[in-house]
Amino acid sequence: MTYLVGYSPHKDDSCALELACQFARSEAGTVHALTVVPRGWESVDGSATDGEFERWAAEEGEASAAEALAQLSRHSDVTSSATWVTGRSVPAAMLQQATELGASLIVVGSGTDGVPGRIALTSKTDRLLHSSHVPVAIPPRGYSPEPGSRITRVTLAFRDDDATWRLLDEVADICRQIDAELRLLTVAIKQRPMVTSGVRRNEKLVFANLLRQVAAAQAEAIDHLTAAGVKAATVTAEGASWTDALATVAFDGGDVLVVGSSSTHRLAHVFLGSSATKILRNSPVPVVVVP
Amino acid sequence: MALTLREQLLRRKPIVFQQQHHQGHELARTLSTFQLMMFGVGATVGTGIFFVLGEAVPKAGPAVLISFLIAGIAAGLSALCYAELASAIPVSGSTYSYAYHALGELVAVVIAGCVLLEYGVSTGAVAVGWSSYFNELLQETIGWHLPDALSVSPIPVPVEDALGVITYPATGGLVNLPAMVLVGLCALLLIRGASESATVNAIMVMIKLGVLVLFTVIGFSAFNADHFANFFGYGIGGISAAAGTIFFSFIGLDAVATAGEEVKNPQKALPRAIIGALAIVSGIYIAVAAAGLAAKPVEFFKSTQGEAGLALILKEVTGNQLWSTVLAAGAVISIFSVTLVTLYGQTRILFAVGRDGLIPKKFLEVNPKTMTPTYNTIVVSIIVALIGGFVPAVYLWDTVSIGTLFAFSVVAIGIIVLRQTHPGLERPFKVPGYPVVPALTVLVCLYIMWGLAWITWVIFACWIAVVLAFYFSYGRRHATLNHYVDEEEIAEPGGRKRRDDEQ
Repeated sequence: MTYLVGYSPHKDDSCALELACQFARSEAGTVHALTVVPRGWESVDGSATDGEFERWAAEEGEASAAEALAQLSRHSDVTSSATWVTGRSVPAAMLQQATELGASLIVVGSGTDGVPGRIALTSKTDRLLHSSHVPVAIPPRGYSPEPGSRITRVTLAFRDDDATWRLLDEVADICRQIDAELRLLTVAIKQRPMVTSGVRRNEKLVFANLLRQVAAAQAEAIDHLTAAGVKAATVTAEGASWTDALATVAFDGGDVLVVGSSSTHRLAHVFLGSSATKILRNSPVPVVVVP
Repeated sequence: MALTLREQLLRRKPIVFQQQHHQGHELARTLSTFQLMMFGVGATVGTGIFFVLGEAVPKAGPAVLISFLIAGIAAGLSALCYAELASAIPVSGSTYSYAYHALGELVAVVIAGCVLLEYGVSTGAVAVGWSSYFNELLQETIGWHLPDALSVSPIPVPVEDALGVITYPATGGLVNLPAMVLVGLCALLLIRGASESATVNAIMVMIKLGVLVLFTVIGFSAFNADHFANFFGYGIGGISAAAGTIFFSFIGLDAVATAGEEVKNPQKALPRAIIGALAIVSGIYIAVAAAGLAAKPVEFFKSTQGEAGLALILKEVTGNQLWSTVLAAGAVISIFSVTLVTLYGQTRILFAVGRDGLIPKKFLEVNPKTMTPTYNTIVVSIIVALIGGFVPAVYLWDTVSIGTLFAFSVVAIGIIVLRQTHPGLERPFKVPGYPVVPALTVLVCLYIMWGLAWITWVIFACWIAVVLAFYFSYGRRHATLNHYVDEEEIAEPGGRKRRDDEQ
């Protein structure tokens, strides 16, 4: 199994490497750090019009790969390598490398601009999420798991629709392979009632019914998993907003959250599901977005 | 033991609260009297004042001012009674639920029929009114409006000529497209989980009151005392008939009554908020009606039925388009929010009816993605859109009024019944002046209903017959009370922990 990590020079950000090593320890595989540097102009051979720029880019690439290797050397229990390539677009180059290497997971960092402890999407990772054919994992900013730790629990964002039902078996398989616990998380948002409608209390009925439906769907999923020999726990995150709701869920060191990207429709691929985006923004643990 | 029909029709739903109490579900007592008053104003203004003059003035003449007063008194009294029932039975809102708990299944079903008129049909009527202002706004801003074929209902409305002969000329319309589109847009917003916050309500109140004050000021600037001549020329019958039509525009005041749980001292705050809101609403309505009459003779109103009446008056009075454009824009924005709120109310009331098993459970399905009752919203919106698209508003207003008046009479009777049968029930708010106020409420409501046209009564009776037929063929056998095994199934989520004093 190959874990492809996007590594940018000068960012002093080892979160993505840390997460990839955590994955590699859980399910044996190679961590491959990749730096994409700008490609020079396509010029006639030998004219060297853009030679200096290309040389600079190559130096940057080399330095970055060396930096990544130095970081990776701290994880001696994980097989790893680091390279650089040139490309016009970082996400496109990463996806091409993922295909060439047969990577099963792309890991990218949260950048250095977001809130510490939360996931932030950069222009590059956003594009990657929208066009990747392999799952993409993103740790929160400043993510630093215990040295030598593994993934101990996978929380699947479970919603009673076809897309998540399809994901259920896949995630259950992975949990079995890496010997991690499986937990189904359903988010139930309390809608704000209309203040002047005169039937504000009725919104509580709607929410109570939503909770009932969630419980039923979770029970059905648990039955399905039990039949397949997988044990799983359930949790319902209730709240008036996604932030409130997700704040009620307990997460530990070895947790990752898995979300589907709502791709029942090709067009939906262009827009990451609105729920997936909200989970990404509010998760305190690494999130794996499955296309 | 099999239930006899009589027992089933009279059985009352017990008040049970969920044992499994989720923290944070109870409503905080955070509302101030002023906020509550603004809710009342926000919920009330906009349902009718923008269109009702064209309907009511021809019935009562200048004495329409008295009709406004009567309708306002009826609405205020009803709201007070409503507040007692809402506080004594702190369950999911609407007259339907209160009736089920206090007066039994049969009454609840009849009231459910009334509430469908109060919310569903009134949403259709409001959408039709919106359509006329929207068209007016198009005309005044881009100089083009939708042709009659796409903005007027195909069903003819009665027109009375100078000799008093009533004819039904063809309307030249096929469908009222803007009304249908408006309902469709509101449905989309509701499916996505839109809601109207206190801030949005405050903005809407400002817009509505702003344009109505603008109208009043300009209307009075064209004051002509001759228009008030022959004040009582249309007789007492005309006054009560107009009051019936006007009552439509006071619906919404009851929104205050259901907020008893959220104010600190309901016994003081509720009547103040209701009377305060009523004073503001009646004041502005009467000012608008007086300004309209001051500016234009009664005959003018006969010719503007179903049109953006207030905007037309402004245009004729000032001779330029600026002020009527401002008014039309204000109306388009604020009536849109009214449509959204009433459509929402209808879906949530049907949700409560569905929970009691009287309509199919499909209405209870909450979409896991949007977390709103999507099926319910779509069905309600399609029906409301058909009403708005094909039925002229003239036929809708009086039907809404009669349904609401009937429901309010039942509420008033309900509190008298409840005081007799459940004297020990905890009542955070008690109606002042018992038993005069509830008795008076019934009388005033009946008086206004009596003034409505016979055709309205026939439509109302037919509708209730349809509702009852549905109940006897479906609801009676599927009612949750028939087969629940666990009290949790009929329990009210959250709220004050209290049980019926019977238990």
